[in-house]
Amino acid sequence: MADPLLQAEGVTKRYGGLVANDAVAMTLLPGEIRGLIGPNGAGKTTFVNLLTGFETLDAGRIRLGGRDLTGLPAHQIAARGLVRSFQVARVFANMSVLENLLLPFLAAGSAGGLAHGQARARELLATSTLEHMAEESAGALSGGQRMLLQACAGFMIPSARLHVLDEPFAGINPVVKDTLIDLIERENRVEGRAFLIVSHEMAIVRRLCPRVTVMIQGRVAAEGALEEVARRPDVVEAYLGRVAA
Amino acid sequence: MIFSTELLVQTVLSGLMVGVLYALMALGITFIYSIVKTINWAMGEFYMIGSYIQFVAVHYVLGARWWWLAAIISAAGTFLIGLILEPILIKPMYARPMQRRDDYATVVTIALLLLLRSLAVALGGPNQYRPESDLPVVWIGPLPQEGARVAAFVCALLALGIFWIVIKKTWVGLALRAAAQNRLAVQTSGVDVYRLDAIAFAIGVALAGLSGALLAPLFMVFPTNGAVTTVKGFEIIVIGGLGSIPGALIGGLLLGLVESLGAAFVSSPYQNVYGFLLVILVLIIRPNGLFGERGREA
Repeated sequence: MADPLLQAEGVTKRYGGLVANDAVAMTLLPGEIRGLIGPNGAGKTTFVNLLTGFETLDAGRIRLGGRDLTGLPAHQIAARGLVRSFQVARVFANMSVLENLLLPFLAAGSAGGLAHGQARARELLATSTLEHMAEESAGALSGGQRMLLQACAGFMIPSARLHVLDEPFAGINPVVKDTLIDLIERENRVEGRAFLIVSHEMAIVRRLCPRVTVMIQGRVAAEGALEEVARRPDVVEAYLGRVAA
Repeated sequence: MIFSTELLVQTVLSGLMVGVLYALMALGITFIYSIVKTINWAMGEFYMIGSYIQFVAVHYVLGARWWWLAAIISAAGTFLIGLILEPILIKPMYARPMQRRDDYATVVTIALLLLLRSLAVALGGPNQYRPESDLPVVWIGPLPQEGARVAAFVCALLALGIFWIVIKKTWVGLALRAAAQNRLAVQTSGVDVYRLDAIAFAIGVALAGLSGALLAPLFMVFPTNGAVTTVKGFEIIVIGGLGSIPGALIGGLLLGLVESLGAAFVSSPYQNVYGFLLVILVLIIRPNGLFGERGREA
């Protein structure tokens, strides 16, 4: 078995009396696409925030490729290869689509290879069917196109190896949805990128993710193939409520 | 008061000239606000520091001929001071969760204002100084203009040009524009937003320092010389809209024009009043300023 890419152990976060993440553990292999599912309020977004440095852990450790990321500020975690997207796509509306992609590339100190960055950006835009929008301001994009752009911006960080996508498919139209799925599959296959995808869309999770992690009430409740975990009574109960006997 | 075309042209010209300098000051305030989300109430004290550096450099070291080098040194000096002070004074408000960020920033920058003013009194006394200027009067057509004023105007235009190039053409400018829109998302791009804060703060106060240096031969050098300029800077922010760069530029020119026209054609002792009338007018018609946004995107 290959060395794990991500090792999160005992990740814990409390808000007053509420334990939002209770000793969450997760191990991802290089090139893996993992789904993270669970009912609303299960602590999925909190976990994403803790992984990527947007909130501070109360306890636990996070390692990426053997390097300790625990407690680093968000921008350093991104620069070390653990990159996230937000549930509501945060693109820079007043900048052009191309500028949105060049920023993470240049921020990594790759200014010397600007031509290379531009070529890479064009390539990603072609896969995302956004080529014709390259010079337009990102504010002109639809919600789904912004989600594509946000994902592509993550791919522009040269060191990025694990991409955490928080609800990337929520509220976007089916055509863009397919484009985004293609983009993820392509980046996974060609570039060997790993993904952790938070989603409620089971059809897409089934298609993209060989394994899923289920969170319920701040804990990891199950891990395995979607078909497998979906049969577990505790998972069913968390989603549907207790079935009256 | 006799009306003449010549007087009108001269008044408009000198209004525009001083307006560009006002714009520089307002641009500094608005630029810091748009990135750091903080109003720097000590802006005028950086203007003051710039004017002192200019005086010391011209009077004791370089001589009047090298006024432009002194101005560059003043701008660079205030830039460095800003770069050092921001992480110490402003950064703590982001580094740990804080309930009343704006209150913190207000108290800290007003404390800085008092400290810097007292420091100026301690070091230079309550005296007025004036750096020598040997620039000849410039004739624009039949109209004479003070050499130092024309020089200040030209340098301010140059500074605006350089600012524009930095913001539009460099990657730091790209990162600054991104941070102005979304502080969270810019971190996802691997950008250290705290470093950007320091850079933005330094650029903003350097603009104030440069105006202080350029206006030193015209408006004198003394511990509270930044006060009036600060007030004018904020008048422009209200006119143009907080956080808007075009607002700062247009607002600066408008204020310069209104003051200059009012002084020439209505009554000159009330020069500072006309700007406030303009502010009131703008507040009635467009409460968010000419270019202000109603709300900001989260």
